[in-house]
Amino acid sequence: MKTHQKILIVDDEADFRIPLAKIISRRGLTVDTAESCSKAMAKMTADPFDVIVMDVSMPEISGIHCLMLIKQEWPSAEVIILTGHASVNSGIEGMKGGAFDYCLKPIDTNELLEKIELACEKVRITRDESFQP
Amino acid sequence: MPGIVNWIKTVFSLDKSARRTPEELQAAFRARYRSFRALLTANNNALEAMAEMEQTLQSGQTFSMAFVRSRSTAVMVNVYKMIQHLTVLSDGRYHHLETVFEKISTHLNDTLEEAPRVYSGEWIIPLTRLRRTMADEVGEKMANLGEVASLAGVKTPPGFVITVSAASYFLSANNLAPEIDRLLQMLDTDNLAEVYTASAAIQQMISNSRLPADLEEKIYSAYAELEKETKNDVTVAMRSSALGEDYAGASFAGQYHTELNIHKEFLGQSYKEIVASKYTSRAILYRLQKGYLHKDIEMGVGCLAMVDAAVSGVTYTRDPANPASSWVILNMTQGTAQRVVDGTCNTDLFLVSRQSPHMILQHRGANSVNSSGSGLAFPDILTMKWASRLTEIALILEAHFGSPQDIEWSINKQGEIIILQSRPMVAAIGAAGSDSFLSESESGEESSLCGLVIGKPCIASENGHFGFPQNNEWSIDKQGENNILHSKPMVDGTDEEDRDNSQDEQGAGHPLLRGLITGSQGVACGPVYLVRSSVDMLQFPKGAVLVVEHPLPEWAPLLTKAIALIGETGSVAGHLATVAREFAIPAVFGVVDGLKKLTNGDIITVDATNRTIYSGKREDLLAQAAQQPDLMAGSPVQGILRNLLQHITPLNLTDPGSPYFKSNYCETLHDITRFCHEKAVVEMFRFGEKNHFDQRAAKRLMGEVPLDWWVIDLADGFREGTDITDKTICMEDIVSAPMIAIWEGISSFPWQGPPAVSVRGLGSILFQSTMQQGLEPAVASPMTAKNYFLISKNFCNLSVRLGYHFAMIEAYLSDLLTESYVTFTFKGGAADTNRKIGRITLLSEILGQFDFRLEQKGDSLTARVEKRPIEFLRQRLKILGYLSLHARQIDMVMNNQASVNQYREKFLTEINAMLSKS
Repeated sequence: MKTHQKILIVDDEADFRIPLAKIISRRGLTVDTAESCSKAMAKMTADPFDVIVMDVSMPEISGIHCLMLIKQEWPSAEVIILTGHASVNSGIEGMKGGAFDYCLKPIDTNELLEKIELACEKVRITRDESFQP
Repeated sequence: MPGIVNWIKTVFSLDKSARRTPEELQAAFRARYRSFRALLTANNNALEAMAEMEQTLQSGQTFSMAFVRSRSTAVMVNVYKMIQHLTVLSDGRYHHLETVFEKISTHLNDTLEEAPRVYSGEWIIPLTRLRRTMADEVGEKMANLGEVASLAGVKTPPGFVITVSAASYFLSANNLAPEIDRLLQMLDTDNLAEVYTASAAIQQMISNSRLPADLEEKIYSAYAELEKETKNDVTVAMRSSALGEDYAGASFAGQYHTELNIHKEFLGQSYKEIVASKYTSRAILYRLQKGYLHKDIEMGVGCLAMVDAAVSGVTYTRDPANPASSWVILNMTQGTAQRVVDGTCNTDLFLVSRQSPHMILQHRGANSVNSSGSGLAFPDILTMKWASRLTEIALILEAHFGSPQDIEWSINKQGEIIILQSRPMVAAIGAAGSDSFLSESESGEESSLCGLVIGKPCIASENGHFGFPQNNEWSIDKQGENNILHSKPMVDGTDEEDRDNSQDEQGAGHPLLRGLITGSQGVACGPVYLVRSSVDMLQFPKGAVLVVEHPLPEWAPLLTKAIALIGETGSVAGHLATVAREFAIPAVFGVVDGLKKLTNGDIITVDATNRTIYSGKREDLLAQAAQQPDLMAGSPVQGILRNLLQHITPLNLTDPGSPYFKSNYCETLHDITRFCHEKAVVEMFRFGEKNHFDQRAAKRLMGEVPLDWWVIDLADGFREGTDITDKTICMEDIVSAPMIAIWEGISSFPWQGPPAVSVRGLGSILFQSTMQQGLEPAVASPMTAKNYFLISKNFCNLSVRLGYHFAMIEAYLSDLLTESYVTFTFKGGAADTNRKIGRITLLSEILGQFDFRLEQKGDSLTARVEKRPIEFLRQRLKILGYLSLHARQIDMVMNNQASVNQYREKFLTEINAMLSKS
């Protein structure tokens, strides 16, 4: 899955965030991480990412709220939200907030990578079409 | 892409009001097509998750709330996606669907997010005030004990209960719930190391939390009252009494802590540790397996004065393997009852007649299990008098509670019988009476009971020892007299003659090992895995036979992975035996040198019913094994799943031609998927209609093949120069490679029409019609009768509907292997479930022979093959084309094995003939 697109992983749990970043980067993607919504917004402002993988349950600003902020500022970025078993509603809330897809924790890495790939493809197509005369 | 260019030019010339450049139209079409594909994917995902939920409910296998939530989320999200994509396709035409979806989601969320109970009662209640009706405040165990205490002639230890309200207050005062929830949400329950880590973290968090001062004061003031009733500095037993712990069929045997001999100064800390034991790894896994919600289990804690026990034991008022037994079972040992239930010692077992006078019918001594162990001087300690009195009390409790009881008791140094616990008994799973401790006489003429006693003499007498273990054949005649028929010495706990006979009867080799006690009936086969330490435990593989020295409650989590259990020691009354019976895992105890004689990886067959272990796989024994029971029966999680499915799976919108096929008639998520799918296909036309190319969009396929076939060209599927104004199309004008391959399969052999249906088969179909109103194949609407090909040069999606069944073939053929795929989904039919499954099974057998990856869920089948060369995929498409026509309606005759065989042979012969031509 070679691409020039960039992925940002947003999760307050380092135990989750760092290994996941390593797995994704091994697939040839450019990855960065952020431990909170505000840090994610700062990184997006400095240099926007194409696909954001974000946990819904984070302190301060929730993942769903962060998703809305990102979609407002960068509508072409695609966000995949990560939700736990006990928060069935967040799957729907995420989709309503414009998430590209959701993934349940514990993560099936292959499933997440497949979704990242699809999100990247959507970003690419949208970008190509928007540049057409 | 000349086809699409022509099409765009046509559109352009006809629709002056909505002029777009060809590029704009092409982009619009691509976007629509992407939404259509995404809708189909979401449809597939939603239906798969629904099938999985239904299948899980029907299978009787264990599942957790995590499963219910994840599949519900999958269904809801995918249905929501379908609505979004249909909205894009239809330019908002079906916006009402969102309201319908919201309504159904609210039902689902209400079911899923039921608020946990709120307790606001007293924190401390003395045992004397407790009754069984107070189980919600103190847990079943202590509520039952309070009820026992109220019975005349039955004694319990004095004490009090710290209620679930108190535990709830303790946890909320320290704001622990959010962090506990977070840790549990993240849990991968298949990863034992992760479960242990989370369990340890949660328990530590609770144990280290501060006990609120007001609660601590109440506890110590209740203890002061207990001191007045007993003596100063009385030591206490602190027992867990969780909500739901002792419901019939789901005793949380040994999952939570009991702490004995607690001194005054450790009351607070012990209390916290017992509350924390709600989160032991084995309790977490047990709740998941049995379908209990963590939030529904709160911990009451009994605080009872210690009994100075001379002898303790467990009484079953009925034989677990034979609910109709006419005896009670007493398991006992010297000292506290804990030793009986934790499996650390071998016990003496007595079977005592339920009828008065309560005579000892059988005695298996501890000596017979382990010659090195110190045998008890039974019946010196337990005289006839005590056996009789214990049985009397047991029967009082059984009569009072109205069901067979599992009773824990001690006899104190003053000779008083003290009842420590009484709860509903978990019956052994399997054929009743097939392996009870005793069996009714086969002849039934001369005696009412007979049996073979292994161990000490069976006739209870205060000094009736023979001096060494005996095997006694005996009977009780109809006058209730005991008769010894035969008595001989026993060697190594096993009767040599019996051993030889057994070998002859089995005829397939000598048993590798024998046990003495059936903990849980059944037969299972798998590789041996010896567990001596917690390190072994972490590495325990799924599907292995668990072999342990002592069947400790600590091994309980492994029973979710093990297929059988072997213990060198243990008793039928031990916690692990109880858990094994609940999970229907065969368990045999008293297997001398099991750890020495078995090696990891050895394949063995454990016949727990007959207490024998064989090397290798014994198909004959396995064939006799009882079927898996419904382990989730009556559990809250099963109830939740059943409730949820009422809003998810029933299909009310069945006939697209019906006036009721509207979004506001969608009552379930399945209805929405059906509606969205149907309308998405229609919307592909609407795109054409709106742009004045409706005549161009769908063309009737002309040919010799029966049924209606329509083709929609998505991009470049028609030959260049095809007359786009013509309402029909011939195969010669199709250039879609996958469609051509499918069509070759469809037209390879003439279809004989649906098979002749017997009156019985027709009855089933009529029954289905009654059950699924609106589905009537005889008056199928145009949409249900048509079969649509959506094509481009490399792509084809064929939707086949006829009457009750639905099939879809989709393929993309590309020179790039990674892009190529062929998928086939098939669901439904008119006949009953067995016949539908019969057809699916037949299709699976055939497709399996041609390298398809198969997934069968209920009556739906998905077959896939991908990333293969084009020619390989073309051949698979031919097979699918052939089957999509020829397998129609054969479900009607799938109840007849001869028909199944006949169709299998016909299909394979014709498919092979078809492939050999190409």
